[in-house]
Amino acid sequence: MTADGAGGATIEVRNVGKWFGQVVALSDVTFDVGPGVTALLGPNGAGKSTLFRILCGLAHPSQGSVRMFGENPQGNAALTRRIGIAPQQEGLFENQTGKEFVGLAATLYGLDDPDAAACRAIELVELDPDDPRPLGAYSKGMRQRIKLAQALVHSPDVVVLDEPLEGLDPRQRLRSIELFRQLGEEGRTVIISSHVLDEVERFGSRILVITQGRLVAEGPFGAIRDLMDDRPRILRVGTDRPREVAAGLLRNGAVLGAHVGDGIVRVETDQPALFRRTVASVARDADARLLEVVALDEDLESVFAYLVGRR
Amino acid sequence: MNKIFSVLVRTLATKGRLIALGLLGAGAIALGFAVRFSSEPDKANATWNLVDAYGLSLLVPVVALVFATASLGDPAEDGTLVYLWLRPIARWRLALAAFAAGLAVSVPLAVLPIIVAAAIAGGGGKLVAAAAVGTLLAAVAYSAVFCGLGLRMRRALAWGLAYLLIWEQAVARVSHGAARASVFVNTRSLAAYIANQAPPRNAVAPITGLVVPVAFSVAAVALTTRSLDRGEVA
Repeated sequence: MTADGAGGATIEVRNVGKWFGQVVALSDVTFDVGPGVTALLGPNGAGKSTLFRILCGLAHPSQGSVRMFGENPQGNAALTRRIGIAPQQEGLFENQTGKEFVGLAATLYGLDDPDAAACRAIELVELDPDDPRPLGAYSKGMRQRIKLAQALVHSPDVVVLDEPLEGLDPRQRLRSIELFRQLGEEGRTVIISSHVLDEVERFGSRILVITQGRLVAEGPFGAIRDLMDDRPRILRVGTDRPREVAAGLLRNGAVLGAHVGDGIVRVETDQPALFRRTVASVARDADARLLEVVALDEDLESVFAYLVGRR
Repeated sequence: MNKIFSVLVRTLATKGRLIALGLLGAGAIALGFAVRFSSEPDKANATWNLVDAYGLSLLVPVVALVFATASLGDPAEDGTLVYLWLRPIARWRLALAAFAAGLAVSVPLAVLPIIVAAAIAGGGGKLVAAAAVGTLLAAVAYSAVFCGLGLRMRRALAWGLAYLLIWEQAVARVSHGAARASVFVNTRSLAAYIANQAPPRNAVAPITGLVVPVAFSVAAVALTTRSLDRGEVA
């Protein structure tokens, strides 16, 4: 569980590009990942899974290079001992039981007691090793957890998890997030993809934001969150005196423009922090009741579009 | 390798495939009975026609095509290949296990029915031996070739079928040069020799008929290994 790469980085990605014919999946992606939990955040189709496949040696980069522990993961069977991956795709060996599936991984990793290792890994993800049902009968949440178990069965130094929380119920999510943190605290390099910002907040001390195949932001969660919060926003303010509230907001410079409707003001602001601080006092000064403040562009797509635009 | 083999066998031997291709195998046995109870005076010739026209031309290549392309093609398509590929095992072991899995299912569904049919038809011991050697050798070679095809090509079934129809059954039958590189012509030539039947058109020497399919098989497994080594995994 050591970072053998240069400068303490376990994984070094340099100018990686990947294209399939005319379609560019990744473009000039460069970053380092060291021990601990790193979250890869991006919308569906952003290139997260392609990047993970390249990191693990499952696909070649069209340009650039990847090093894991200083070695090229491509065609490097020995390095696979140090990697555990839970891919996003649903496919499992449907006829196998959970214990057979995880036991197969343990056997192929050459563990001394594959059965015992499989049982430990399955219990770690809170499944029953003696469940006689085939994987085909598992729920989505159970399938996610059994994928996680096979990724952890050999105690890998690098754990790559592609959307591991999808399909889990809230309790399982909480437990899984605790497990990811624990793995990071043990000194393993844990890299987890997600397209849900709030999910990432809970497990990612460091975040890489990828969209349209490009790395558009990286850093600690707080900095990324601030960046996202401070982007220009379009908001709807519900009030019983929309004209007066609109005038007040325009007067104090918190908004760039305002459109008054029936009981609402639609505003555009490039200073969301100032807007948040002053909207209540503006309403009070106008003797207006503030009924709601709703962001109209809160979806992640618009966040990512903003991040792409500022690069 | 045993674990990978058994996983792949369980994956590729779906109920639908087993029933459909089992019926094709049962057809061979039915034909064997038909020959036995027919008024045909030359049972040996009728049995040879069964082995040649049904076994070597149709049953063995089709069954091997379906199962061998599925042995790595199915895991590549549904994404489960990553659970075998991203492990510290030599790629040749994976290629060999996949080849063996395809062959292990093809033998009872294609090779055995032809041997049983030849025995039922009453053509004699040489015909049974010819059926056994010819179909087994063909199953080995086709399984090796189609295993790699399933890994490398999308729609491997369609490409394999095209290969069987165009190369094996058309080009190799009319071109002597092409015949030397045909699993069908080589195994058919060897089987005809063992069965003491007249050499078929474009026949090759018995030793060639043995060596070429074996060489094909070794080369095909080596190519599959190379593809696993260098290719991209779903």
